[in-house]
Amino acid sequence: MNRDQVAALKELMAQEFTALEFHLYLDTHPTDQRALMEYNEACRQLMVLKQRYQQCFGPLTFCETSGYPWQWIEEPWPWQISY
Amino acid sequence: MWIYEKKLQYPAKVGRANLRMAKYLITQYGGPDGELAASMRYLTQRYTMPTGQAKAILTDIGTEELAHLEIIATLVYKLMDRATVGEIEAAGLGAYYADHDKALYLVNGEGVPWTAAYIQSKGDPVADLHEDMAAEEKARATYEWLINLSDDPDLNDTLKFLRQREIVHFQRFGEALQIVQEYMDSKRIY
Amino acid sequence: MMYEMNSGLQLARAYVPSQVFTQRFSAMEGLSKGTIFPELYMPYRPRRY
Repeated sequence: MNRDQVAALKELMAQEFTALEFHLYLDTHPTDQRALMEYNEACRQLMVLKQRYQQCFGPLTFCETSGYPWQWIEEPWPWQISY
Repeated sequence: MWIYEKKLQYPAKVGRANLRMAKYLITQYGGPDGELAASMRYLTQRYTMPTGQAKAILTDIGTEELAHLEIIATLVYKLMDRATVGEIEAAGLGAYYADHDKALYLVNGEGVPWTAAYIQSKGDPVADLHEDMAAEEKARATYEWLINLSDDPDLNDTLKFLRQREIVHFQRFGEALQIVQEYMDSKRIY
Repeated sequence: MMYEMNSGLQLARAYVPSQVFTQRFSAMEGLSKGTIFPELYMPYRPRRY
């Protein structure tokens, strides 16, 4: 995996982590409007990053469309990557 | 249901192969305060939580623990990478090798397999949330002892991330406990 | 019950104060620290033996 892909992957991890943190916070603070706005914005940004990543490097999850041949089986898998 | 994402939650890396640390770290895979026990505890207890907030936090943290299980597996896999049989035996992993080669298996540091006896599901939401808070503290302490045992800054970087997650989870379970206690009070007939 | 009247807290009960969100780390800084919330960031300081 080249450095560009690793950098893009880390950016994706960071954005998804932000969304997760607000997600957990909102579970116990469902009426915090500012946190809700941050969560929604984090999810919008994450969707953009994910689309861009998957267009370049293949599907990350279930039901993302695949080029030919079936791309899901492509290596490396997450535990094989040197970050 | 669950859907897999073909990525780690955190870029887990190790500075070098290290069988001694692999032997210690495997307890967070299949040990009493490890990530599988955490995930199964929360995902099992959630069915009898009384409020939407408590069901949500147990579902979401139980799911995050599966991501941590994958991080631990990745670290152990990398720590054992390219080790020879002689090195494995010298590190005290000969018995593990006889049963598993270098495959991942759900055991603690002494080779004891994972058991559901590590977790409880009491049906009393206050008791269950207290167990969950204690579990986060025990996992936090385990990561601290592992950091003390390790001299690999790259490995410690990921262990510190996982340790910090235990603190955030403790906070969320504490908030859920408050919500549940208030809910139970409101239902109580005097 | 006297205790409850004085402090709003009851005996034989655990309390964790509820977090109030005000600030956050950037996404990348949050990932590297393990939380995006500065008030929950409590890094490990190893004890000396």
